[in-house]
Amino acid sequence: MPEAHVIELSDVRKEYLLGQTRVEALRGVSLTVDKGEFIAIAGPSGSGKSTILNMIGCIDTPTGGRVIINGRDIRGMSDKALTRYRRVTVSFIFQSFNLIPVLDVYENIELPLLLQKISDVKERRQRVMHFIEETGLADRLKNKPGELSGGQRQRVAIARALVTKPVLVLADEPTANLDSATGGRILDLMSEINAREGTTFVFSTHDQKIMEHARRLVRIHDGLISGDEVKGA
Amino acid sequence: MVTLTIAMRSLLRRKVRMVLIGLLVVLGTMLIVIGETFSLSVKQSSKSAIVNYFTGDLIIYSERAKDNPSPFSFTTPLPVVPDPHRIEEWLASHPMVEKHVAIAQNYGLLSIEKQGNKYEVPFIFYAVDPKQYRAAFPNISVEEGRFYDTDGGGPEAGVVLSAFQKENYAKNYSVNVEPGDAVTLLSLSDGGSVNAVPSRLVGIYKPKYYTNVFNYINFLDIKSYARLYNFTGVDASSMPESFNRALASESDDDIFGLAGSFESGLDTKNLVSRELSGYTMIVVKLKNPADATAFTGEITRQNSGVKVATWSEASGFFAYISRIIQAVIYGATFLIFLIVVFILMNTLIISVLERTGEIGTLRAMGAEKSFITAVFLWESFLLNGAAALCGMVVSIVLVATIGGGEGILLPDIIQQYLTGGGGIRLLVTVRPFAEALAIIIIVSLLATIYPIKVATAVTPLKAMTGN
Ligand SMILES: Nc1ncnc2c1ncn2[C@@H]1O[C@H](COP(=O)(O)OP(=O)(O)O)[C@@H](O)[C@H]1O
Ligand SMILES: [Mg+2]
Repeated sequence: MPEAHVIELSDVRKEYLLGQTRVEALRGVSLTVDKGEFIAIAGPSGSGKSTILNMIGCIDTPTGGRVIINGRDIRGMSDKALTRYRRVTVSFIFQSFNLIPVLDVYENIELPLLLQKISDVKERRQRVMHFIEETGLADRLKNKPGELSGGQRQRVAIARALVTKPVLVLADEPTANLDSATGGRILDLMSEINAREGTTFVFSTHDQKIMEHARRLVRIHDGLISGDEVKGA
Repeated sequence: MVTLTIAMRSLLRRKVRMVLIGLLVVLGTMLIVIGETFSLSVKQSSKSAIVNYFTGDLIIYSERAKDNPSPFSFTTPLPVVPDPHRIEEWLASHPMVEKHVAIAQNYGLLSIEKQGNKYEVPFIFYAVDPKQYRAAFPNISVEEGRFYDTDGGGPEAGVVLSAFQKENYAKNYSVNVEPGDAVTLLSLSDGGSVNAVPSRLVGIYKPKYYTNVFNYINFLDIKSYARLYNFTGVDASSMPESFNRALASESDDDIFGLAGSFESGLDTKNLVSRELSGYTMIVVKLKNPADATAFTGEITRQNSGVKVATWSEASGFFAYISRIIQAVIYGATFLIFLIVVFILMNTLIISVLERTGEIGTLRAMGAEKSFITAVFLWESFLLNGAAALCGMVVSIVLVATIGGGEGILLPDIIQQYLTGGGGIRLLVTVRPFAEALAIIIIVSLLATIYPIKVATAVTPLKAMTGN
């Protein structure tokens, strides 16, 4: 038997109640993600892309079906175990960045290491500086998020996601708030790291050009998967 | 510590907001400290006023008494204290005792002849040794004439009326009395056996404190009193109780009861001859009021036939009214701090709940609840701690300025009951500060932990997006 999937969604459903009406964001999604993949989830706005990422990242709970992390159903997992999964295994790059406004660039990137209680100051500094170089933020160390452009904030968010060397990085429309040139560079950076470190990436997009970067393209429509193709094979 | 860093910077980032919350905490702390200081000071000054002007720390009275002694009450005179001079000598040589005075409380009639008219007017009195009484209770200001007081050069015996009493006689009986007037003391007894003792009005006084009560109290020398109520040479303790009660009182029933005991036979051989004065209580002021319990034990061991009441047992109805006023003040203070705590709690809870989004982000990054709690507790303690400290400093200054000098003035009717007249001086004690600090800490803890519980009970996504 091969190594367990990094994550497996099995017939996952998610319903939202908007007043009296029921919105079915996911209507039975099954999907497996394996180590080292570079997956784009593509679909029009409102099709359920963010919802899928939220399920994979365990920051929301499904109303039906199963979410399985490393062979374990999350329904049987404690809050502590899920918190640990979010801290160690997976990293999120949010669409709106969600940086900590009172911390500067360096501190924002360092925060996940502090959450992991890595007490070795030198090690922390090395890792933070490595990803600061990697994302080209060396001249912005002391700036607060409020003093950065959209592209710079996105790069801080990426560095913050990568600094813990997670197994899986989830990025929700990482280029949506950026001009196409900046977006292109961000995507190149992600695929480089995927190739070099073997980090698994799952990102959502509705941008045709961005989809082409992906090696696997999962198409979603109205809460259902309508296509799943591995390119360049 | 990144939690402290986040906390401090978050405080600075929301300056205006934090200043407002800080001011609320300052105000809350002040209300608690000053309210509690006021309540405690009222309690303390009420106690010391009663002790200083009425009851002393302890009252020694006859073991045969059915009721508590009360310097405020004249309607039920107590049985006389056996051997009061011996007890007084014992008290005088005791190192714990600061002052002591024997008091007889009773009432009678004054018969006055003026311009050919004869007036009989009632009067309530304390019969006391003037020097000892005035040393123990510095409440008398002589307005006209003198106090009877041989040592001070005054007349040996006589009656001292309160100025209010003198006015009352003029108003209600149309008789204008003055020092020097000859009066006849009459013991008041409807049963017919009336004693008449010639005496003289020697002075008019005004009470300084508790005018509501002392306005009705007059003074009489103890020798005249003893003659008035027949305290001759038989030891009361060797007599049947009915005798003793009859002597100390003037109710018809007791007089008839006295006759009854004669019939059943009174063995005169058992009677012990002794000089009696008719004192009904001996008031003791201690050097250190904390000795009260120990000293009470000693009194009853060393002196037979007596028991001891504390100032609070002896202060009866008056202290009861005082306690009711205190309870109202305490209740009002408590209500104020409930409101303060409620407003503060709400404000603090809202200021954490507003940041549910931030909490969601931290949780999505895998932050433990303890990390999130630490951030918010730091914020809460830095802000509220500093504010509480400011509140305390301001409170000390306020308490010292408004509570010193004359103290806080209340309507006279209330002051009469609380302090016997005069303002409430605020006493700086540790307790109100400790209480304010404890309340601020508890409120900060609850108002931080509760909203964090709420914000972490939902999924991180829900917290982040706010639905
Ligand atoms: N919190 C929510 N409450 C109600 N409806 C929601 C909520 N989040 C998402 N939805 C609905 O679920 C569907 C899928 O949303 P989402 O996954 O955000 O789509 P996408 O990311 O592809 O634009 C949409 O119809 C959206 O309106
Ligand atoms: Mg989306």
